[in-house]
Amino acid sequence: MSFAHKIAVSALALAVSAGAALAGGHEDFWKKAAEPYQGVTLRGVTESSPPSLYIREVLAPQFEALTGIRVDIETTSWDQMFDKAIKDMEAGTGIYDMVYIEQDIIYSYLARNFLTDTTQLLADNPQLQAPGYDEANFTTFADYFRGDNGHLYGIPMEAFIKIYLYRTDLFGDADIQAAFKAATGRDLAPATTHAEYTEIAKFFYEYGQANDMQLWGATVQGHTGHPASWYEYFESVAPTFGVYNWGIDANNNYAASVANGGAMNSDTAKEALQWWLDLRQYAPPESNQSTWTEVGTTFGAGRAAQGLVYGENAGWIAADDTKSLVVGKVGVALPPLADGVMAAAEAGDGYIGYYDGGAFGLPSTSKQKEAAALFLEYIGQNDVQPDWAVAAPRVTNTATYDDPKVVAMNEELGGYYDMLRDKGYLFAGAPAYPFHAQVREATAPTFYKILTGDLNVSEGLDQMAAEAEASLTELGYRK
Amino acid sequence: MKKNRPVLAIVFWVLVSFLTLFPIYWLFVISVKPAVQLFSTPDVILSDPYWGNYAKVWGDRLLRSYMVNSLVISTGNAVLCTLLGFFACYALSRFNMAGKESLFFWTITNRMAPPAVFLLPLFLLMTQVYAVGDFRLLDTRIGMILVYCTFNLPFAIWTLRPTVDGIPKELDEAAYVDGASAWKVITEVVFPLCRPGLAVTLILTWVFAWNEYLLAATLTNFNARTLTTGLSEYVTTTGTEWGIMATISVFTLIPALIVFGMVQKHIVTGLTFGAVKG
Amino acid sequence: MHSNRLGWILLAPTLVILFFFGVLPFVYVVFVSFHSWNPFAANPEMIFNGADNFRKIVFDAEFLNSVGVTVTFVFFAVVSELIVGYFLAQAFMKEFPGKAIFRTIHTLPLIMAPIIVGSVWKLMMTPSIGIIPHYLNEWFGLSVNIGTSSFAAFATIVVMDIWHWTPLVTLTLIAALVSLPQDPFEQAQIDGANKRQIFFHITVPMIAPAVVATVFIRLMDALRTVDEVWMLTGGGPGSATRFVGVHIFREVFPKTNYGYGSTISVIVLYLTIVACWLLYVTMLAPRNTKKD
Repeated sequence: MSFAHKIAVSALALAVSAGAALAGGHEDFWKKAAEPYQGVTLRGVTESSPPSLYIREVLAPQFEALTGIRVDIETTSWDQMFDKAIKDMEAGTGIYDMVYIEQDIIYSYLARNFLTDTTQLLADNPQLQAPGYDEANFTTFADYFRGDNGHLYGIPMEAFIKIYLYRTDLFGDADIQAAFKAATGRDLAPATTHAEYTEIAKFFYEYGQANDMQLWGATVQGHTGHPASWYEYFESVAPTFGVYNWGIDANNNYAASVANGGAMNSDTAKEALQWWLDLRQYAPPESNQSTWTEVGTTFGAGRAAQGLVYGENAGWIAADDTKSLVVGKVGVALPPLADGVMAAAEAGDGYIGYYDGGAFGLPSTSKQKEAAALFLEYIGQNDVQPDWAVAAPRVTNTATYDDPKVVAMNEELGGYYDMLRDKGYLFAGAPAYPFHAQVREATAPTFYKILTGDLNVSEGLDQMAAEAEASLTELGYRK
Repeated sequence: MKKNRPVLAIVFWVLVSFLTLFPIYWLFVISVKPAVQLFSTPDVILSDPYWGNYAKVWGDRLLRSYMVNSLVISTGNAVLCTLLGFFACYALSRFNMAGKESLFFWTITNRMAPPAVFLLPLFLLMTQVYAVGDFRLLDTRIGMILVYCTFNLPFAIWTLRPTVDGIPKELDEAAYVDGASAWKVITEVVFPLCRPGLAVTLILTWVFAWNEYLLAATLTNFNARTLTTGLSEYVTTTGTEWGIMATISVFTLIPALIVFGMVQKHIVTGLTFGAVKG
Repeated sequence: MHSNRLGWILLAPTLVILFFFGVLPFVYVVFVSFHSWNPFAANPEMIFNGADNFRKIVFDAEFLNSVGVTVTFVFFAVVSELIVGYFLAQAFMKEFPGKAIFRTIHTLPLIMAPIIVGSVWKLMMTPSIGIIPHYLNEWFGLSVNIGTSSFAAFATIVVMDIWHWTPLVTLTLIAALVSLPQDPFEQAQIDGANKRQIFFHITVPMIAPAVVATVFIRLMDALRTVDEVWMLTGGGPGSATRFVGVHIFREVFPKTNYGYGSTISVIVLYLTIVACWLLYVTMLAPRNTKKD
């Protein structure tokens, strides 16, 4: 069954049950707390995603039925979502009462005081404190949305890790295993090192060619004109080699180049980029036009044997037969790593991949903060989580992992939720930079030129490090 | 006078039509394919169409309201621009106002502006300046109708100018001699004669407004969203829903096709631009 | 004849609307263009920096590249559209069965939104699975990849633009050809002029105003192209299709570089106006003023 379909079914179920049963037994609280806000319409903007659609189609109507407060959710594309939220908050218009905060933009928003301190808001207004809501219910992912004072500035609504997906049907095939052993001298298993990963990619690429199959060795998120490629390298590849935080040292005057103490153009960074670029020869031809969504589609279409795939796609690839041809054939593993990276990650000195996701925040410019806080509490409750996780696979509350529905789903997803729970701490969100998109855009054109071969890896990364520093100087962060 | 070789002509036009229609046909093919089939080896011939996307789009209340907004905004804007453009052209054509040719050129420069950077001032104006009490122009249909004038009004003036210039002044003067008021001359003498040009202007401004994306994406939120902005909702984090997008696109083509069909015959006689009169 | 007051009254609504939605935003953009302003800089305020942005633009390789790419694109697209449009218009001047239907078919691309055109072409051109690369490979052994080949990406955008906008040119040229007087042609034939002479000495001068007017509209719109390219390549591979419109978009949307982005826009608008003004005064204005 498709997730979109599940959302529709949930919406239908809601119409039947009128939401009363979903109030978690605290109907009185919600009715009483919402009394002063009758007739209020809350407006939110978010990126179009299954969890957001679930809010729009299921949680918002439930909340309205329960409290009488109407919630309109505008879902739009990634570029538009940021632009609209930023324009509104920058100009102080107060259009939105809720904005989607992708994990990587939180530091920019906090630096500009765009967001309301929800912890403080609830502490100041005890009558708003819902019995089913507690900050302690959230997984550690919520920590990314805390300010310097430890208070929460956004209610987590989705969290994923970018994991290593592989095809269990291919990896488990006896003939393929034998052929792999004959070709490489070792057993076929998900790679733990970069060399192994490349070896597997090469093997399946040749296997696909030899058998005239639409099969390639690995996905590569290598779009030559879209920041998705930039992200794959800096967030998912470089860290597995031990280059963290884009190679920029925040504690050393935001240095990016080796000469100034950064690591963006270090030998390790260059080795990592070269490894990733070389992978493209075993990747499907559309890789050069692939963003995060096309990588998922490629994997779902059965065109790759393995790949690094964002967790939000892992769900439908593994379980949605209206979109994926590899349902039930997907396994999850940790990304391949260079020596010492795992030890560093376990010690908290590094990380092995990208922990992404987002939260709903309350803009400082909202004119209906109290009513909006009620809605944010509503979507943060443990009670609403399991159905949400089934309809749009994501987990933000610790208790959700143990719900029978989610446990069943974990099987379907090849153990993805187990990995999120047990190994999530090894992954990290974007570095705490308030200049995220700015530095990305300043260096991206050069990065695309490396991808097209107009620049070689060494020159390209040298140039990018210089551009990053120039941009940081211009923005006033680097002195 | 000219040699007619109908068979050759038809073969030629069938070929040209094939090239013209193929991308549109492909749009349709995408709209009737289930998502799982999109990323497999393509097949030119359509077999076993899947109508699920159409059911989904048709049943979506939000998309229906976007459709209404699109219709209201583009029709309102096209009518407004055509009428105002006509009045403006009449003024430029019949009066000797100081600097009118510079003014004529200046109007067209409004269409040249790269739109991206004008979004911020338009956003600020429409939220903070063009607002009365709780009402603000942002996210309203009337707001979008006015904003679209920035590119459609210049176009209307530009297309209508030769048409209005082409109506002999003697006709106006004869009517004035008969004692007609200026308003009567404009609406009952000149306006009907310009009908073909007006029809073309109407349809082309309508199409430009119907197809606009960037301004609508930024300047509407809930109440005035248009169909083209509805498309961006299907570029999601978990995959672009090409099937749904293509289906919406097919839906956007239908009204455009109807409007276009209605005035098609006027187009040939109306688009005279600077054509030399015999 | 009548006082100019009536003329101004008729013109007033147009001027008022363009003032509030065209001039005021423009004034704001000009104002911002003299400031450094990025809401996510260490200092998020607007800071006056004189002509610094304008100085910087001269050395901005990405910007200069985008101007070059755009001009090349506009040249190839508009010239091709003019040539193809002219031949199609001439072909439509003959009578043949089904002419009305073919003409309707030929105008269909016009009614498609640029963002939709970009999406369809993207799907048709996806390396290896798009129908065009697939069959080019199957039938001719050509490997076309708009993700790696700058030429393929650029050519695709030119072809896409030709597909999308040639109908507009055809329509305007049909209109011009239809309204041509027949006498000069008949006279020339009697005098024994050949086809080439007739074309260059009679047809071209007589349809020149319509051609220039059409080129003018296409030129303006092609210079502003964003939606299609954004959907198709995002400006890549590398910077091969990073048109000025796309460059500005990247500068003011993701990068929130409002100050410098405004400067680029002002410069681009200025260059466009100058180019169009030259075209206008040399080709069109004499004819318009002559009629007064």
